[in-house]
Amino acid sequence: MRGRPFLGWFVAPGVLCALGLAAAMAAVLQYAVRAHIPGSLGVGGFTLENFSGMLRPLYASVFLQTVQLCALTALFSLLAGYPLAHALVHARSAAWKSAVLVIAVTPLFLGEVVRTYSWLTVLGNSGFINGALLWLGLIDSPVQLMFTRFGVVLALVHVTLPVMVIMLAAALSHINADYLRAAMSLGAGPVRGFLTVTLPLSMPGILAGTSTAFAWTFSAFATPQMIGGGRVNMVSNLVYQLGFASFNFPFAASLSVVGLALAAAVLALLRLGTARLERLA
Amino acid sequence: MRYGLGLRALRLMLRLLVLTILGFVLLPSVVVIIAAFSDRSILAFPPTGFSWRWFARALAYEDFQSGFRNGVIVMAWASSIALVIGSGVAIALHRYSFTGSRLLQAMLLAPLVVPHFTLGLGCLILAAQLGVARTMGLVVATHVVLVLPFVLRSVYVSLRNLDGRLEQAAASLGAPPGRVLWTVTLPLLAPGLAGGWLFAAILSFNEFTASLFVTAQRTQTLPVAMYNYVREYADPTMAALAAIYIAVTALLLLVANRFLGLGRVLAIDHGH
Amino acid sequence: MATEAVRLDGVTRRFGAMVALHEAWLKVRHGEFLTLLGPSGCGKTTLLNLIAGFLAADGGEIFIEGALVTATPVWQRDIGMVFQNYALFPHMDVARNVAYGLATRGVNKAEAAQRVAEALALVKLTGMAGRRPRELSGGQQQRVALARALVIRPKVLLLDEPFSALDRNLRGAMQVELKEIQQRLGITTIFVTHDQGEALSMSDRVAVMSAGRIHQVGTPEEVYRRPADRFVAGFVGDVNRLPARLLGREGDTAQVAAGACHFTVPAAPLAGLAPGAAVELFLRPEQLAPAPAGGPALLEGVVVARVYQGDRMELHLEAAGVPGRVLLRLPGHAPGVGEHGSHLAVQAQPQPDAMAFPPTT
Repeated sequence: MRGRPFLGWFVAPGVLCALGLAAAMAAVLQYAVRAHIPGSLGVGGFTLENFSGMLRPLYASVFLQTVQLCALTALFSLLAGYPLAHALVHARSAAWKSAVLVIAVTPLFLGEVVRTYSWLTVLGNSGFINGALLWLGLIDSPVQLMFTRFGVVLALVHVTLPVMVIMLAAALSHINADYLRAAMSLGAGPVRGFLTVTLPLSMPGILAGTSTAFAWTFSAFATPQMIGGGRVNMVSNLVYQLGFASFNFPFAASLSVVGLALAAAVLALLRLGTARLERLA
Repeated sequence: MRYGLGLRALRLMLRLLVLTILGFVLLPSVVVIIAAFSDRSILAFPPTGFSWRWFARALAYEDFQSGFRNGVIVMAWASSIALVIGSGVAIALHRYSFTGSRLLQAMLLAPLVVPHFTLGLGCLILAAQLGVARTMGLVVATHVVLVLPFVLRSVYVSLRNLDGRLEQAAASLGAPPGRVLWTVTLPLLAPGLAGGWLFAAILSFNEFTASLFVTAQRTQTLPVAMYNYVREYADPTMAALAAIYIAVTALLLLVANRFLGLGRVLAIDHGH
Repeated sequence: MATEAVRLDGVTRRFGAMVALHEAWLKVRHGEFLTLLGPSGCGKTTLLNLIAGFLAADGGEIFIEGALVTATPVWQRDIGMVFQNYALFPHMDVARNVAYGLATRGVNKAEAAQRVAEALALVKLTGMAGRRPRELSGGQQQRVALARALVIRPKVLLLDEPFSALDRNLRGAMQVELKEIQQRLGITTIFVTHDQGEALSMSDRVAVMSAGRIHQVGTPEEVYRRPADRFVAGFVGDVNRLPARLLGREGDTAQVAAGACHFTVPAAPLAGLAPGAAVELFLRPEQLAPAPAGGPALLEGVVVARVYQGDRMELHLEAAGVPGRVLLRLPGHAPGVGEHGSHLAVQAQPQPDAMAFPPTT
């Protein structure tokens, strides 16, 4: 250990932690290939039945829906997050800047349950939107917003927006202001300057923000559970139901494994696609 | 600016767009705060009267009280343990190259991308296999794994920004490695360590999905208690608690922004 | 041509309570290489940014080629600018960087390609068109930045401390090259620097600035030999400040005495002073020399440092009554003169460019 004093002390707790995590993931993997014994928490012998069971339309459609919801959320989060991040980085007045910052970032520290519950009060049949529309006389009976994909995506965008803004703003603030000034000195107006300089240079932030929003949405549970109400289901809800309602932990584990693989594949594709885009530009 | 009409129109449109998005961000918080003061026992808009009683009920509700206590205990333990583990690994990764360092790093950062329900399920199954009951220890251990990546990253970034020559200067003045660590490295890292701890604490206190899997009735944290309440009752008690949550968080953030510069903490202020 | 390439009429710019530029009046001639010289914070970069259009003026008007541009946005001013760190677009190759300004002007592809090739040939970078900026050396990046600014045939070329990121040897070569290109194209050039050597060697005229004001505009020789005020005298080149006494005035000139020597200086800076008043005499280091034994001496001092500079020898003296050190610059090795610790009598060269100013209070 000469020349590397305390290395053992530094890494031993971390290694322990990593081993614990590895064991937990191994436990999931192991359960995924075990048979479920109805009415019992124990597991049976090794089997691949869990995976073939997933091909049933019910489960296949949940996977498809999950990926769609993640993609929509990431897209709308990007579209809403970019103007905020841009305003944050290029704000001229300090007060406006702090206002945007605090408003955009506060939801990050509220947690999924508080935020989702707040959306219930907005989207519910006797919630804010329906109350306002009824009061204005624009509708006669409440519009169904709860238990719809629209409602779930709206709330999920709200959940992922702060981290998207933070990542985009970090990328935007690292772009040297002289690049845009150079473009302007060469005759580019604000729109052209943005499209040819700022936007391509913020690609790393767009990539980071979009993949994080995708991963967070995939991981989301409370939002689809409370706003989807069993009618808009994501993989996370299915895993919970199978585990705590049917006590079919092996099937829940196999769903988790496939979900993880699927999320990893989509993220890898996203990364590949953006890398190619960057090379073409 | 004395520039042309088109440019001013563009600016105005951008400003309106930003205001609209900010309105979207604020909407649920504003609505839930209004709902918290409702005088009726079901949510309804527009409100018909004013009352504080849901706040009284939220503060007196036993599951919320125990959830808060459990949450604080889990938060304090998990973020402190994660801080110790994370700084050790960050220092080792920053300073030495050792076999398996990349693997260790990848493993410890994995919870950033692995869904929390998968992690929660894994911890639950593992505990069952090992015959461990759903105790506070299990919740703390799960949270340590979940928040460790954030601490690790925060400390690692501070280390990278730290001028290595300061440590060399201390060594050249005759300080042995332990003394260098204690008198130079750690004091200079203090802001990064504090930031990492704080971020971990906030995440831990708010963590819901994995906690739902690994907590039992006795060990449930506040988010789990809130979730269970919403499943059982439709009255505005939860709205009152959410209002308290929003008020405290906004206050903390305003203070943090005033004294620490939130932009700097989040690394989005640069070159101004 | 009747109009100036660039004209500033009383341009003022404030940042909050701070006046960054105070009523600047300036005329830049066609094809001229004009340098804005001054210490950091003097307003030279503010002035450049006002001409470019990155800053809006709080007062006054700016004209480019006779046209009022005070309210014209940057992208319509038809300027070429080279930035301190070049600001080459990292996501485009050299050719697309250079072609950028042609694309915004709607130049067709064939013509653009030809002009890019010409511009790259001008800066000796033919064959580098496909490289990315990060694959180029500092000097090459500088050339690309220059080509990018020149290819659009701007009305005026603006250079913001373009050499500050280069190492010393490369800087000298690039200075010569820039001057050659500028003369060949005859392009009006405004150059910002805090390096007085750079300013003197490259410029047709120099505008010396300090604290938001233009102190003097003149040829390099004028600002060096006939500085308008004590700031210019002190900032451009090294100078010895010696205590002296005003003897009298005669038309445009005045007589001052220092030690056993008399000097003729311009009278203007001494207006209002009575004969016998204390003044400060400004003399350049190369205008001092060891006095022959027994001859009249300007001052006497002890040599505290002898600094070898290759082509010359610098002597640092401490002399009674003179604040700071006295600096002498002698050609060659000056063998045997002013050994360390020795006493040395100093006199001035015949007919020196001496200046005198009222003492600072």
